[in-house]
Amino acid sequence: MLLHKRYFVLAAVLVVFGVLIAACTTPTPVEIVKTVVVTEEVMVEGKPVVKEVVVTATPAPVEPTPDPNAPKEAGKGDIFRAAILEDMTTMNFWSSYGPINSSMWNYVVGTTYHPAAYGIGYHRWDYAPAIADGLPTDLVQEGDFWVSTVKIRKDVKWSDGAAVTAHDWAWTADVALKLALQGNWSGYDPNYLDHIEAVDDYTAKLYYHTKPGLAIHQYGVLLKPWMSKAFWAPMVDPLVERMVKESEGMDKESDAYATLLTEISQQLETLDATGEPSAGAWVFGQWEAGAYVENVRNETYFDYMRKVTEYANGGFKQVSGAQEFTSGDTSQVELEYTEGPWFDKTIFSIYSSDAAVLALDAGEVDFVITPNGLSKGQVAQLGPNPNVSIAINVANGFRYLSFNFNRPALAERTLRQAIACVIDKPFLTQNVLQGAAIPVNTIVPESNAYWYNPNVPLFCEGMNTQQRMEESVRMLKEAGYTWDTEPAWNPARGGSVDYGVGLKGPDGQYIPEFTLLAPTAGYDPLRATTGVYLEQWMQQLGMPVKAQLVNFNRILELRASGNWDMYILGWGLGPEPSYACDFLQRDSGWNFGAYNSEEFETLCNAYKAETDRDKAREIAMQFQEVLATDLPYLYLFTTPLYDAWDNTRVMFPFTEVADGIGGGAYGLQEYVLSIQ
Amino acid sequence: MGKYILKRLVQIVITLFIFQTLLFVILTAMPGDVTNRMFGNPDIPPEAIENAKERLGLNDPVLVQYARWWRNFITGDLGVSFSEYPTPVINIIQERVPRTLTLFLTATLIQFVVGFTSGRILAWQRGGLVEYGSTLIGVLLFTVFTPWFGLMMIFIFGARLRWLPLGKFLEPRLWSSAVIPGLTNSASKGNFVFNRMLLTASIILVFWLVMLFLTRKLNSFQRRRILVGGTVGLIAVAAAVWAASGIGYLAWDIIKHMILPVATVTMVGYGGTMLLTRQTMLDTLREDYIQTARAKGVPETMVRNKHAARNALLPVLTGLIIGLPFTLSGGIITETVFSWPGMGRTLLNATGAEDVPLIMGVFSFIGILALVAHLVADLTYALLDPRIRYA
Repeated sequence: MLLHKRYFVLAAVLVVFGVLIAACTTPTPVEIVKTVVVTEEVMVEGKPVVKEVVVTATPAPVEPTPDPNAPKEAGKGDIFRAAILEDMTTMNFWSSYGPINSSMWNYVVGTTYHPAAYGIGYHRWDYAPAIADGLPTDLVQEGDFWVSTVKIRKDVKWSDGAAVTAHDWAWTADVALKLALQGNWSGYDPNYLDHIEAVDDYTAKLYYHTKPGLAIHQYGVLLKPWMSKAFWAPMVDPLVERMVKESEGMDKESDAYATLLTEISQQLETLDATGEPSAGAWVFGQWEAGAYVENVRNETYFDYMRKVTEYANGGFKQVSGAQEFTSGDTSQVELEYTEGPWFDKTIFSIYSSDAAVLALDAGEVDFVITPNGLSKGQVAQLGPNPNVSIAINVANGFRYLSFNFNRPALAERTLRQAIACVIDKPFLTQNVLQGAAIPVNTIVPESNAYWYNPNVPLFCEGMNTQQRMEESVRMLKEAGYTWDTEPAWNPARGGSVDYGVGLKGPDGQYIPEFTLLAPTAGYDPLRATTGVYLEQWMQQLGMPVKAQLVNFNRILELRASGNWDMYILGWGLGPEPSYACDFLQRDSGWNFGAYNSEEFETLCNAYKAETDRDKAREIAMQFQEVLATDLPYLYLFTTPLYDAWDNTRVMFPFTEVADGIGGGAYGLQEYVLSIQ
Repeated sequence: MGKYILKRLVQIVITLFIFQTLLFVILTAMPGDVTNRMFGNPDIPPEAIENAKERLGLNDPVLVQYARWWRNFITGDLGVSFSEYPTPVINIIQERVPRTLTLFLTATLIQFVVGFTSGRILAWQRGGLVEYGSTLIGVLLFTVFTPWFGLMMIFIFGARLRWLPLGKFLEPRLWSSAVIPGLTNSASKGNFVFNRMLLTASIILVFWLVMLFLTRKLNSFQRRRILVGGTVGLIAVAAAVWAASGIGYLAWDIIKHMILPVATVTMVGYGGTMLLTRQTMLDTLREDYIQTARAKGVPETMVRNKHAARNALLPVLTGLIIGLPFTLSGGIITETVFSWPGMGRTLLNATGAEDVPLIMGVFSFIGILALVAHLVADLTYALLDPRIRYA
């Protein structure tokens, strides 16, 4: 009996060992293609002709073995399998586009359902018409209003077959304005927009009571989504009527008005969206809460087979149906691609982050959609798998050190510049953070090429530790700062800084002790580590600074209360830099540091009033210089974003996307090609 | 006994009040609130955030919020979730409870049965290689870092060997094309199947308990034959009914997805039950009445199963009863690692988002059940051990 038990134990150990050995074997690589041929129907002399177009994409390492049983055309597939990390919270777009439910996962699934007059390309952020027919007319003054007219394409349909018309847009804007919708809806900005008039089915006139600039008009109202009037009006109109009727004569600051608005908003956000038509690439299929969401290809999608050509000097061309739009220099083709969707369905399955990576590794999903990209550990895990490709992009955002100008010592520009000088960003990002961060020098990250100013002033660029310290001391001395003990370079032990002691301002007063707030390592190890290093660099200059790693929410609380000296936080950014004014203009709600610069105010006001993109760019260049000199924010770094996909099943026509393919383009669902 | 129960019910109400109050204080003392996640989006201006706070009642004084919570609780309305606004908390709980119950009830019961049985046998057969090996494995499993162990299970059996699914509770491609007659398009197919699976399990359990009761007078050999045969028969009938229902393949898909998480939870929990049973059995075996039974010539299996194991069962069963309500909270780690959309993940997400009504709702549910379970455990003590009396 005992012998049998030993055999049994031995057999069990062997089985477990065998299972582990089998589990640790490397997966067999699957071959993949480099280009995809897509058939395209074009009109030649008034007759439809089918021709083949080669779509270029990320090179793949090996040629594919053709599947003889493949029923689909090349480039087309059955199901695009995307992993998402959290569930949707609502199907109601009034809610998910508002402030409370603005979860990324709602956008991931529903990003294409609602059309807009214009759109911004994922690859280079080219601004182009979507359902508009050409660019809007210039703003002209008509009576009390500034007016612009937008022509609308006549071939755009909702998925229920009804035409998308100017009435949908006018009605959506009307609801947003009358119900004072917040969050992303505030792009229909009541501070500027009076109303939108549907002149006829395919002509819309935008009436502004205050002259809008680029951010309000081109990058605001013209990019905002339209809702189907036919579907929503029977449910929403009674709410709007009630709001108008009951709020008549009410003070908009009163509690009664707020209560009414809350009640109406809540009713709007609980309306049943089942059966809502889509005008985008995808139509909602089904949602199994907690498990998956399915989108089905929209057979009536107006931009299906839209051919996009990007040119080397910033030129852009798109051909969609009978529409053609060209801008800029179109002499040298850089990239061509054709919009789909190329799959019949997209299934978004919900996984935990690690399980999603394992699922990709095992070929169970085609792509993992993450807001902040994959971690370095996950990338290392996927690295050896030849069936997985990885793209690196840069986050369109930055982490920064903010100064509180209400502290007189920190309101001194020279001190901030000296701090900027002593902080060695290349050392911080490469040596300390081990390449997990990329230095940022201006409020527009380098990835936003059109608006980025590469020539902003930099302090102590290219200097080593000794030179930085000496230059910072020189700057401070020149401005009248003194020390009890001046910082000095100590060549002993390979060289180090002897910390300064008792830094005094030009007024002879000691610089008081400051607290530098940074999130804890559990929340963001990059910022936590940076906080500790910044403390040391400032202490080198003799500034009594203590870094405090605290709960992220606590930093937000302290920031709002004004009871802070310095903090390290971060921003995610939009495609055009009006956010700089939102963050730092005198009366902005985000200007917690009380930065106050006449020059910046003037530039911001000019920027906000400018409707010409190139002229606005010139102003943006100038205010970047002002901010890089004044340093209300000391820009620290942004982060690389890693995306990974199964290169045996899918390919992307381009992989360079600001904020990543997952975080910035939600998986490029309209463009992703099948290579089965 | 009646007086005792009444006294305990009053205690439960007081405890629940203290529990809810403490929970509320802890949650509201946390820095920030649910609107913090809007701070990273420059498209949402500070005024909009203020407006959102107003709408969610976060600007009200804490006492007003506290009173509102009690009013909602007493009227059976747990309020509206902030993070899944404006879904009522009760709807979220209703949606996720069946999934958690199915997974964790299965795991808890398997773990109890396996742990108790093996602990009982190991205590009886002391000193062998099996006992040393099992004890070592039990200790390893009891102390293993659960997230790592769960991921290893997925890695080995899901990603590498591909024997089992990699998490989730269903295969989307299978379910997306499934049609369940009579179910509207917006209704949850998953919950439809889950609820019927729970119902099936409940029916089997009732029949099994009836069998247990009816066979109590038979000798152990006959009883075991009837119980085993009856159990197999019940399962066969249930399987046949499911197969004939047209949605049996969906239930099978869920069962396949349950294997890894159930195995993980069972293995992690098994060690504790096994070691506790083994230790209690060892203590019991030293009692005089065991010696007496042996001296009287009572068969060894009867001494083990009736005299020793029944007494050793007491603390183990108490642990099980008290632990059952906590199956409702799911395992935050297990549900997260296995992408299982139950109460554990809900609680984790709600805590991350500072969704106070949802956290309070979930904990209230668990709290009430836990307090009731304590009462049931106390009463079961008296039932299992006639020496215990309640005044």
